[in-house]
Order: sequence, then C-alpha cells, then structure tokens
Amino acid sequence: MKYKTLLCITVILTYYNIDAQNRAKGLDEKVQQLTDMTAKHSIIPLNLNKFKDFVKSPPRDYSFIVMFTAMAPSRRCTICQHVYDEYVVVANSFRVSPSYSDKLFFGMVDFDEGSDIFQMLRLNTAPVIMHFPAKGKPKPADSMDFERAGIHAEAIIKWIQDRTDIQIRVFRPPNYSGAVAFAMLFILLAGFLYLRRNNLEFLYNKQMWAIIAVFFCFAMVSGQMWNQIRGPPFFHRTKNGPVYINGGSHGQFVLESYIVAILNGAVVVGMILMIEAAGGVKGTVVAALEGKRRRFQSVVGLVLVCVFFSLLLSVFRAKTQGYPYSFLFK
Amino acid sequence: MPTTAETKHSNGRNKGIFNNTTGFSTLITVTVLSLAWLAGFASRLFAVIRFESIIHEFDPWFNYRSTAYMVQHGFYNFLNWFDERAWYPLGRIVGGTVYPGLMITSGTIHWILHTLNIPIHIRDICVFLAPIFSGLTAIATYLLTSELWSRGAGLFAACFIAIVPGYSSRSVAGSYDNEGIAIFALQFTYYLWLKSIKSGSIFWSICTALSYFYMVSAWGGYVFIINLIPLHVFVLLIMGRFSQRLFVSYTVFYIIGLLLSMQIPFVGFQPIRTSEHMAASGVFALLMAVGALKYLHSLNPKGQWKQLLILGGLVAAGTVFLAVVLLTYMGVIAPWSGRFYSLWDTGYAKIHIPIIASVSEHQPTTWSSFFFDLHVLVCTFPVGLWYCIKNINDERVFVALYALSAVYFAGVMVRLMLTLTPVVCVLAGIAFSILLDLVLKEDEMQTAPVETEDSKNLYDKAGKLKKRTPEPVPAADSGLGMNVRSGTLIAFMILLMLFSVHCTWATSNAYSSPSIVLASYGNDGSRKILDDFREAYGWLSQNTAEDARIMSWWDYGYQIAGMGNRTTLVDNNTWNNSHIALVGKAMASNESAAYDIMTMLDVDYVLVIFGGAIGYSGDDINKFIWMVRIAEGEHPKEIHEADYFTERGEYRVDSEASKTMLNCLMYKLSYYRYDSGGSPAGYDRTRGALPGHRGFQLTYLEEAYTTEHWLVRIYRVKKPDEFNRPRLPLAKRTIPTSNNLSKKPAYDLGPMTSKRRKGLLKNKPTLVKGKKMTKLE
Repeated sequence: MKYKTLLCITVILTYYNIDAQNRAKGLDEKVQQLTDMTAKHSIIPLNLNKFKDFVKSPPRDYSFIVMFTAMAPSRRCTICQHVYDEYVVVANSFRVSPSYSDKLFFGMVDFDEGSDIFQMLRLNTAPVIMHFPAKGKPKPADSMDFERAGIHAEAIIKWIQDRTDIQIRVFRPPNYSGAVAFAMLFILLAGFLYLRRNNLEFLYNKQMWAIIAVFFCFAMVSGQMWNQIRGPPFFHRTKNGPVYINGGSHGQFVLESYIVAILNGAVVVGMILMIEAAGGVKGTVVAALEGKRRRFQSVVGLVLVCVFFSLLLSVFRAKTQGYPYSFLFK
Repeated sequence: MPTTAETKHSNGRNKGIFNNTTGFSTLITVTVLSLAWLAGFASRLFAVIRFESIIHEFDPWFNYRSTAYMVQHGFYNFLNWFDERAWYPLGRIVGGTVYPGLMITSGTIHWILHTLNIPIHIRDICVFLAPIFSGLTAIATYLLTSELWSRGAGLFAACFIAIVPGYSSRSVAGSYDNEGIAIFALQFTYYLWLKSIKSGSIFWSICTALSYFYMVSAWGGYVFIINLIPLHVFVLLIMGRFSQRLFVSYTVFYIIGLLLSMQIPFVGFQPIRTSEHMAASGVFALLMAVGALKYLHSLNPKGQWKQLLILGGLVAAGTVFLAVVLLTYMGVIAPWSGRFYSLWDTGYAKIHIPIIASVSEHQPTTWSSFFFDLHVLVCTFPVGLWYCIKNINDERVFVALYALSAVYFAGVMVRLMLTLTPVVCVLAGIAFSILLDLVLKEDEMQTAPVETEDSKNLYDKAGKLKKRTPEPVPAADSGLGMNVRSGTLIAFMILLMLFSVHCTWATSNAYSSPSIVLASYGNDGSRKILDDFREAYGWLSQNTAEDARIMSWWDYGYQIAGMGNRTTLVDNNTWNNSHIALVGKAMASNESAAYDIMTMLDVDYVLVIFGGAIGYSGDDINKFIWMVRIAEGEHPKEIHEADYFTERGEYRVDSEASKTMLNCLMYKLSYYRYDSGGSPAGYDRTRGALPGHRGFQLTYLEEAYTTEHWLVRIYRVKKPDEFNRPRLPLAKRTIPTSNNLSKKPAYDLGPMTSKRRKGLLKNKPTLVKGKKMTKLE
C-alpha cells in the first residue's frame, strides 16, 4: 500500500515534471525560434499560424510589437511605406542596441497575407502598430497613435519605451542618399567644369549669379522654409470652392507662397526695368534706346511695381486683421 | 517721414548748385541722419507715452536687475556675483553667464551722467537705451552703405533702418535687451571690416576687432560675424581676389578679435574649442597657405605657377577641413551646439530640444511676417542685390553673402529676422537710390553731349510739350521725359509714405506693448489698464518672507526676481533643462504628487497666470502643453503627453477633458474658486469653455492672493502640520497650556494618549537628554 502510494506520487510527480518541462520547453523553443528568425530579418513576417503561436498563445515572457500594414502596391497605401521604413529603422536599432534581449520581438502582418488576422483583431485601417504585452491583453494605449505622435522612428521608440520599459537608441543607417546625391552633383559639376575647362567664361557671368541669388531671396522671403518645415497643404478646399490664401497671419498654403513669390518677383522686375530704362547704373553700358521705347519700358516698370505691390499689400491686408492701409486695390 | 525729407534733400543735392559744394552735402547728410535718429527715437516711444517708463517683458527685467546690481556694487562685484535668488537651490553665477556689454554700456552712461552731476535713475537709462542706439545703428548703416555704394544710398538705408519694424521690434523704449545695442555693433563691425578690406590698413583691422569685441560682449549673435567674415574671405579666395589687403585685414582681425573675444568670461575658451568658431580658424590657416604660395610665386614668376597655386590651395583647403573634422571627432572641438545645429537641420530642435522649440520666436517665418517686418523693402531689396552682383567688387561680395545667409536664417527662425533687417535696409537703400538718382537727374545730363541745342531750352520745351500731349514727342528727345519722371517720382513717394505709415502702425500696434501692463479697450474706445502683474509681484514683495521661494513657470522667473525680489526656482535663462522639467512635472502632476516635488524643492508659494477671466491668451493653461512635453522629456515614466488630451486628441479644459488634465495641479490652481468670467459663472473666456471640474477643494495649498482680474494667482504651500490634522471648529480650539490635561479627554480618543502625556511629564530628564542628543548630532 505504501509502495503503491509512493509509486503513485512518483508517477504523478514525474508526469507533472514532464508536463512542466514540456511547457517550459515550449516557451524556450518559441523564444529560440523567434531569436533565430530575428537573426535573419529584424522584422518577423507573420501569418495566421505564426501569429497564433507566437503572439496569441499564452506561454510568453516577451513583448511583441506587430505592425499591421498593406504594402501591396494595389492597396495604394502610401503612408504604409513611410511607416514601414521607420519601423525597420526601429527594429534594426533594437538589434544593435545594448538593450537587445529576447524580451521584445518585432513582427509584421501584411493584409494580403493575413487578412484573417485583421478580421480577428477587428482592424479596419492600416497601418497600425500594436503592442502585445507579455501578460494580459492589449489595452487601447497598446496601439500606437500616429496622428498624435507622428510616424518617426523616435516617436515609435518613445512609445515602445512607454509600453515595455525597453529603451532603444535610434540608430539610423546613415542616410547615404543625400550624400550620394551631393557627391553625384559634385562630380557632375566638376566633370562639367573639366570638360569646359577651356571656356570657363560662364562662371564669370554675373547675370547668372545675380539671378540665382535673387531667386534664392524670393524663395526665402515667400516662406518656402516654413513650407518645408510645417508641410502645409497646397491649397484648401472648402464647400465654397478652393481657398488659396490662408486667412490667418500665422499660416500659409504652398500655392499662396508661390503667388507671393511671383508678386515679389514682378515688383523686382518692374523696378529693374525702370532703372534700365532710365539709363542703368554707372559702369554698365547705357543702352542706346530711343526715347519712346525707354519711356514705354519705364512706364511698364512703374505699372508692374505699383500694381503688384498693391496686390501684395491687399493679400497681406486680407490676412492681417485690422490692417488699415491699402494702395490702388482694396 | 524722414524718407520723404531725405528724398527732397537728395533732389536738392543733385540740382547742380550743391554738386561741388562739400559743405552743403555734409550739411544735408548730417541733417538727414539727425532727423533719422530723431524719427527712430520718437517712433519707439509709444510704450512710454501710453503706459509709463517701464522695463518690458521678461529678459529685460533680468538685464535691468543685473545693471542695477552693477551700478550699486561695482563692476568687479558684478563679475563675481553669485545670485542665490535664482534657480533655487542651485543658484546662478551671473557674472560668468551673461554677455555683460549691455550692462556695461548703460552703466557707463550712468557713470558719465553722474560725473556731470546729472542725476538720472538707472532705470530711465535702461528704458531709453535701445531707442538711442537705434540712431547709432542708422549712422552705422549709413557708413556701411556709403562704403558699398554711394552716400545717397547710405542716407536711404539709414532712414529705412531707423524706423523699420523688423528692427524696432527689438528696440522700443523699455525693451532693454542685448539686441538693442548688438545690431549697432553688428553694422559698425561690418562697416569697419569693409573699410579695412578696402584700405588693407592695420588700423582699420584693429578697429574692426575692437568693434567685434564690443559685439561679443553684447550678444551671442556675434557668431554670425565670426562666420560671415571668414565666409567672405573664403569666397574672395575662390573668386581669385586674393590681395595683400585681404591678407593683412583678415589676419590682424582674426588674431586680435580672437584674443579679445576670449576675455569675455561667458565666452571663455569657446572660440578655440567649438565648431561654431572653426570656420574662422580654418579660413585663417587657408589664407596663410595661399599667402605662402603667392609669395613663392612672386619669387619666381615663371613656370607652371597657376596650376600649382590652384592645386596647393585645394590641398590646403582639404587639409584644413580634414583637420577640423578629425579634431571634432577626437573631441578636442565641441560639435555644433543644438541651437546652431537646428538652423541647418530644421527638424532637429522639435525632436530633441523641446525647450527651444517651445519658444514662439524660434519658429520658421511665414511670408506675412516678412512683409509685416519689412514692408516695401522686402520686394525691393533683391533689386539692390541684383545691381550689387552685377557690379561686383570685394565689398559687394560681402553684402551679397550677408544678404543670402541672413535671408536663409530669417526663413528658419522668426527671431533672426533681426539680422536680416539691416542688410535688407542696405540693399533696398541702394535700389531706391539708383532709381531715384536716375529719375531725378535731368534729361540734359544725358542729352547734352548728343544734342547741339541749348539744353536748358530743350528741357523747358520738352516739359511744356509733354504737359499737353505726352505721346507725340520730338524724335530728338531720347530722355525719359517729364511725365514719366514725375509719375515715377510720385509713385515712389507714395510707396515710401506707405512704408513709413506702415512702420509707425506696426511699431505702435504690435511691438509697443510692455506685456507686464496690459490694456483693454471698451466698446466706446475707453481704455482700461490691467496692472495685475505688478500688483501680484508687489504683493509678493510686501507680504511674503524675505527668503520665500516662489515656484512658477520659467517665463515669469525674471519678473518675480526683478519686481518681487523673491527667490525663484526656474527663470528665463533656460540653462538647466532638468530643473525646468521638475517644475513642469509638479505642474502636471496631481496635487499630492506635486506636493512631494514642492516639498523637495522647498517651495513656499506657487504663482500661476490665469487669463480665463479677461481672455488673455498667453496664460499658463495655454502654455501648459509645453510644460508637459518638457516634463515628459525628463520623466517619461510619470508624465505622458497623451494623458492630457481627450480621446480624440484635443486639448480641452471643459467636461470632456481627460481625467489627468482635470486633476493636475496647473488646472486646479487656475480654476480654484473661479467664478468670474462670463455669463455662466466660471466661464473661461480664453478657451471659450466652461471648466469641467469645479468646486473642488485644495488639500495641500491654500489661496494666498488673486489679483483684480484673476490674472495672477498665488497659492501658499501648506506645511505638513497644516493639512494632515482634522479641522477643528473654532470653539474647540484651545491653546495648549498646562491645564489642557483636564480638557483633553473630552474629545481625545483614549487613555493611551493621556497616559503618554503623563509619562512624558514625569520623565522630564529623559526628554532633555533626547534634545541634547539631537543637538549634538
């Protein structure tokens, strides 16, 4: 009887032990598999089975970041590509970062390969980045809000740190495209100069340099830098038709800045015409124009200056509340 | 106004009678410049006339406070001043962390006036310093432009800069800030630089270096000079315009300027240790190499020198560049600091330095700001640039580079509009001067050599003829004709008039608000002065302990120190981000978490700005999101920006606002007991919403003072013994005297306490012993 009980207990213990081992092995195996997969691609592509095995089924001690996206060109998801690029940066940074461990994995589900996963999670939009914590179910905060945080790798990393306490330093592969483009330009320029080494007169062409400088001024003064940094819409569509001029003085549309650049340019052209008509600066050859033509040119210049400057003033007046002055036009 | 006056004069000057008379032209120049000075000074006085002679805004208050300190305690004490009133508990070494030029300037003026027995308060000197310097800037601009083009252009430029809003924005009376004197120093340094490069004399180079020294002592923007002048030299080298003049002027300027700039304690060894200054040393080395090659060339003028010269120059440039890169990599030279780096990589500050991105003047510039600040100059200065490049010489290379770099920087940052304004004035002055010179010149000048007729007659005849019929002109007349001339003249007079009217309007409406005294206008046009800030700071200085520590957002640090004379935790010198983040965290936490931080920082009072009652939009709730962001940067665990937005990502304060928002300290301090405002009591007029959480009580703080229009609210932080005890009705409060034993059981809980008390009384010796122990420790 005693032996029987002992045996029984032994059997039970053994069984339990085996069971425990199995389960533990299951986790280890999974982590091992995932580590292997991560070694190949920093982002693990997931289909339904893999998703269930690695992400959904319980024995887990690791967090899983999954991006749901639709990369196929037929889906026409332009933002997906941008998010994907940033996501790759994040996953690669994690792989080389000192905090690299098997507690965090990156996965990706493409809609065309795992539409059932989308259905399972009731996702209607792409791209979505979700965090599946080691314990418990994802909370609303476990899906990243691109609208608020943006899609930059820095934002994603901040969000990951927020959710998992794993700190990653962004390691962007140095962006060679800029450097390459610059080098290409430089080589082209140098080659061009070399080819024309016997005829470098054009470099002394002041007109060309002056045009470049003046155009640069137009671009800056019309707020192209603001456009570059803030990325405003080209123009605004409303029910009453398109609006080209932003109503507030703190904003502008891309088209608006072009209009302003053209207005500025017209004033400058007008003034130069007038000066040339009146004889130009000392040192430059006075064009032997006849009086009629000069008068005509001068009047054209004057009209350009006045009309376009007043247009500029009216546009400005429309944007600035309570601005009292105008010229020619309301 | 001065512009019209000026053109009249230039009209007169070209009439011919004055042409050869230097006396008249000097007289005109002096008259115009003094009129420009006067107009510039007068147009900056709006704030003084409307309000009073008072220091404006935030930073000027610190400058004023340190100037007053310097005047009181002397220069050396000022340099050694450790200000324990700021950045509690860290303090701030003021002497080593300011550009002292501003204080020295006004201190010197004060000293001179007092030596002459003119008793003027230092505050008045500080208030009027910037307007006075605007006149000096006009003169410096005149000199610069005369070097570049002609004296007429110089007069135009001087008149423009005297009143242009882009400059008066930083130099109205009361805006006592570095920029006020720095623009003068900038223009004057550039003038001297052009002078020295023209003459190649050591004297002018040393003058340039001295003026540069003044600029270094005055403003951090000196970096612009020490990069632009080397750039100029570099471009001249590329253009093959190397000369002995260039060599002498740059080498002398660089060495003396370097040594002088290192005398400023705040700058110290930066000129040889940071990337911002490396362009200057690199160009210096390059110039030396080119100079050496040229010298070798002069020894043996035959042979393949041209190729060797180009090759040698390229190799030298490459070596210098690599050396700088290598030194940076090795850590000998500090890399670009964030503030400068963000000028190139425009997205940098937003991600990495929220405290820079949070300041509104660090935002990029829209075209309407350009137009607002420069008006007609913005569309005429490219004309000046055009003609400068078309008629290029050594100096005009400089002005072109100045214009291009400044216009880029102004596009990136609104604040740098200030460095663009002078060059725009110069170039626009040139443009106007070219045109009006030509238009005002009489036809006879051009036709005289061609025509054999009496030119006087022709002029009269042509004028009369054209008055009647402009179209049929005598074929002999190749001039512009009277009508076109006068039409042009009138049109440009109108443009200039519009410009001066615009300048006055902009200065008066946008740039002349002291921002510590607000004005509101009623429907009938009556004006109401809201003096809440000074009321609050006055209250602080009168009713709080001498060493009380006031916590507020950093914007108000200088004002509290300057007007309230109390210790602050953070101020507008944002050198310690983590300290600021701690304050932000306190404001963003709930009351009890905030209390922990506040006790940690020894805070006695908390000051918040609340504009809901009068619709003041620059209040703390509107700035709050930056507090959260800055706090989140340092404490990502505790503070999450998303918690302060609604589900849909809106920033709201009404009942739909998020829980965290409704319970944070800033919200509670702003809306505590708030019942003024609009038709529903407690309506927030700034946000246009009814606060979502009202009628709450504060546990850890108590309201100490609220100003008349609720604009400033001051709270006292309770001591720990004040809030963790139950509140007793008045009747039951007793003074703990010896007979409280008998009363105690009436409301006390049990015998335990009374027993203990008895025991304590009995064991008096042990109690004393304990006290001694602690004293020993």
